[in-house]
Amino acid sequence: MKKKNFFGRLNGWVRRVFFGGSRDLANSIDVEEVVSPVGQIVRNFLERRLAVGALIVVILMFLLVFFGPLFMPNYYDSYTEVTQKNVAPTMSMMKVPSGLKNDIKMIDSYGSFSVGLSNSGDVYVWGATQLGTTGIDIGEIPDAVKEDTIAYVAAGIDHIIAISESGKVYGWGSNKHGQYITTDKEVLEQLEEAEESVSEEDQAILEEAGASSSVEGEDTEALEETTEETEVAATSASAGENIIAMPDELVNGTIDVANIKKLVCGYQCTAILMNDGKLYIWGNANAYQNISSFVDKDDLTDIDFTLNYVVGLTDAGTSIYTGKRGLYDQYRTNINEAAKSSKKFLGKRKIVSIYATNNHLCGMLSDGSLFFTGNFPNDSVAMPALHDGETVVQLEAGTYHYTALTSEGRVLSWGGSTLHQTDVPNGLDGKVTKVFAGAFQSYAVNDSGKLLDKWGLKGYLFGTDGNGADIFQRIIAGGKMTMTIGAVAVIISTIIGIVVGCLSGYFGGTVDIILMRVAEIFAAIPFLPFALILSAIMAQMDISENKKIFILMCILGVLTWTGLARMVRGQVLVARENEYVTAAKAMGVKEGRIAFRHILPNIVSIIFVTLTLDFATCMLTESSLSYLGFGVTYPRPTWGNMLSGSNNSTIIKNYWWQWVFTSIFLAVTCICINIVGDTLRDVMDPKSDRDK
Amino acid sequence: MGKYILKRIGYMFIVLVVMSVLLFLIYNLVPNNRAYTDAKADMTAQKTRLRNASEEEKDKMFNDLYLEYQRRYGTDTDNMAVRYLRWVGIMPNYYGTYSGLLQGDFGYSYEFKDDVINVVQEPLKNTIFINIFATILALGITIPLGIVCAVHKGSKGDQAMQVITIIGYSLPTFVTAILFVWIFCSLLGIFPPSGMKTPGSNYTGWKWFVDRMYYMALPLITMTFCSLGSMTRYVRASMIDALSLDCIRTARAKGVTEKAVIYSHAWRNALIPIVTLVVGWFLGIFGGSLIFENTFGINGMGKLMIVSLRTQDFDVVILMQLFYVAISLIGNLIIDIVYGLVDPRVRVSA
Repeated sequence: MKKKNFFGRLNGWVRRVFFGGSRDLANSIDVEEVVSPVGQIVRNFLERRLAVGALIVVILMFLLVFFGPLFMPNYYDSYTEVTQKNVAPTMSMMKVPSGLKNDIKMIDSYGSFSVGLSNSGDVYVWGATQLGTTGIDIGEIPDAVKEDTIAYVAAGIDHIIAISESGKVYGWGSNKHGQYITTDKEVLEQLEEAEESVSEEDQAILEEAGASSSVEGEDTEALEETTEETEVAATSASAGENIIAMPDELVNGTIDVANIKKLVCGYQCTAILMNDGKLYIWGNANAYQNISSFVDKDDLTDIDFTLNYVVGLTDAGTSIYTGKRGLYDQYRTNINEAAKSSKKFLGKRKIVSIYATNNHLCGMLSDGSLFFTGNFPNDSVAMPALHDGETVVQLEAGTYHYTALTSEGRVLSWGGSTLHQTDVPNGLDGKVTKVFAGAFQSYAVNDSGKLLDKWGLKGYLFGTDGNGADIFQRIIAGGKMTMTIGAVAVIISTIIGIVVGCLSGYFGGTVDIILMRVAEIFAAIPFLPFALILSAIMAQMDISENKKIFILMCILGVLTWTGLARMVRGQVLVARENEYVTAAKAMGVKEGRIAFRHILPNIVSIIFVTLTLDFATCMLTESSLSYLGFGVTYPRPTWGNMLSGSNNSTIIKNYWWQWVFTSIFLAVTCICINIVGDTLRDVMDPKSDRDK
Repeated sequence: MGKYILKRIGYMFIVLVVMSVLLFLIYNLVPNNRAYTDAKADMTAQKTRLRNASEEEKDKMFNDLYLEYQRRYGTDTDNMAVRYLRWVGIMPNYYGTYSGLLQGDFGYSYEFKDDVINVVQEPLKNTIFINIFATILALGITIPLGIVCAVHKGSKGDQAMQVITIIGYSLPTFVTAILFVWIFCSLLGIFPPSGMKTPGSNYTGWKWFVDRMYYMALPLITMTFCSLGSMTRYVRASMIDALSLDCIRTARAKGVTEKAVIYSHAWRNALIPIVTLVVGWFLGIFGGSLIFENTFGINGMGKLMIVSLRTQDFDVVILMQLFYVAISLIGNLIIDIVYGLVDPRVRVSA
């Protein structure tokens, strides 16, 4: 009972504050309704639907920007991910096609798309299938592949390799760096089309921007020749760039499918390992420094790709072979401490198989235990402890994470967790017979090949930028920065403006003249160029990033106060002549007190309007500065510098998501703030004619 | 009036001096030592001749050279006031010669290997070229539009224009630029996205003009669009004020045609605030736009500013900044004078 009373009273207060005195009372005693000035302003404001909408948008934007970061604990400014560059907006990275859902044989992925194979031999591709500026849609599976029964598939960063039951090796996607060589007419046509769609001019600009790698005339020539004679093509392609060509026997002939042990794709490379130790490996040799030492290697029992190195497991099972680099196989020729300890660790056990992520690898030993080696980033989650007697039955490696199935039927994920790779859902234990790991996804499958559950990266709502960072998260973090800078700058400029305006207007005379001359000087400074010079000089100074941003806020604030100061001065000049000021003077109130305590409150509404409009201006100025490459710089995001990469037509056209969403956020915020400010000005001005 | 102008010019001069002091101090914040650079360059040039010289001799020679250059550039003293006066050209340097801004010595651009005054010429021409068209276009569209909106104020069309113009002036200019590049270059493919002329071409006369206009079309459209919002609102507001004057009511009452009322009576009154804006705008022609010129790759003043800042060519930057300040001051002066001329009611009391 008491509580209700309390709320009732509270409600009454709120109503009185905003809507003036009690209407019931006013009605009952039959007097004209009394509305407070604030109430009138609020009422007038609420009548304008556009302004109310704009206000709501601004508030929502504020909430999103200031509370959004709380919901993205994994976010940090300098995040980069090389395999997720320029991914188009999609949420389908984990969306296994319905045809595959109940019949999964294998799933693989490396970059932004995944490839799956059903038990009936059909290939499915999902995820962000549009390959950047190449104009190729890898989701368009060639007819030859569709008609054939496929036995193995694997996906690289921009190509897919499939092997049919009959031993034919198919490849599609990009082949600019020797990812595959094909005689399939359909694939060639698609490549040509894609080539045409990306004009030479575009390519030149892109190369300048460093967004794409080179296409040489030789390559295209090589492509045309392949239709007629593949051998020539193979040699000329490999001569053109640092490419290890696909073995001729795979291009024209077939492979012994029963004998295949493993098909695995790396960045732009592919390796096929046979049961007898024979290894086929080809692709872009620039992507893997040690790939050349694997060519013609025939004593490996396992192979996998990390980000920069190919790792193999030798026949003996006692060392991990990396060729030239010789990090893991040193003790065979030259015994040193590291090698000794690794030998000691292994003891009599042997390495059975290896599973490589981008920067670390896991090996399974002959006694069923696991070992790890490599660099583990900070976000890595430790491997969950196994129960006594429990062993890992099946292990799969993604780009940073591992997913394993244990002998007790438990499903475990560990390793990199930034993109939710390790969030294993509940209720899977005991039902799963097989797990698959995509690049950042994991899939759990039961006996019959039915997909039970999946976890990991769904995709990016707004796509990713040139560094592989999620644009949505950067927009939120950037908005926080932009708005904070705008707000602090506006507060600084308002304080200066009010103080100078009040002093100048109230005291007049010499003070007025001096202050107004100072204001004139500041107003004469061309704003953007001056801010540019200051931030360019600041960039050379040896101060911390936070300090630079604070100084930037101060620069913006100090350069924008003159308008407000003049307005306040004008208002004070008017207010000074009012009777209440004369009365205050007569009562002996000090002059400073009159200026700030008596006159200032009367001009607060005008200050408020200017503050709102100036906020938008400061935000825009900061964005312009950052857009031009000054102001706040990468990796710290602001809405301005997120757009600075988008000033060439190729990126504008091909990576539209990199500017559209940021622009929308920036534009909508500014427009809404301006609408609110404009409407406030109209509403607060008692002289303004409503019909105007 | 004459006294007022004199007084304004006096103030302007003071402001200019204060700004130049400020800029000079900023200029000295920059780790940029022209004498040192030149002395080092001279030493490198004489490398072969100095092959046999000992370290001490080299040091001595360098110090002599350094001192000589410092004296020539007037930086052989730590006294900032003296250095400033030398920079302006009021005090002689060590050798008794005057070489400062007043004598036309604006510094040397290391990036372009030329005197700053020569470096600035070409971009200034380009900027003026494009801005004249942009201004004429913008005024040609906004003034009629503003008048129509004012006359039909409150109508559906006017309300729509209000929303459009508020969007127009709130949209960041670079977002508009990106949007227009996308529409006109990527979607429609009718304009080149950047550049000044067809690469490799060497046209003259009319052909040169057509080629230039083809490349300038997109920047012009974008610049015009960006200036539409604020100007239209301004014209509309002053026209509405003019239309609510008593003289307009009188004119209507005595049966003057609506056309004459609007274009003869009201428009003349509305012109007063607009004229000042237009004058200010014409002065902006020289400034150039930082954003447009960078986005569209126009070799103008704004682009030069950014390039100089990036390459730390601060002699150019300082001169341009002084130029901007001078322009804005002259602009203010002209606006004040024009205001007095156009509107006899305005008392230009000192």
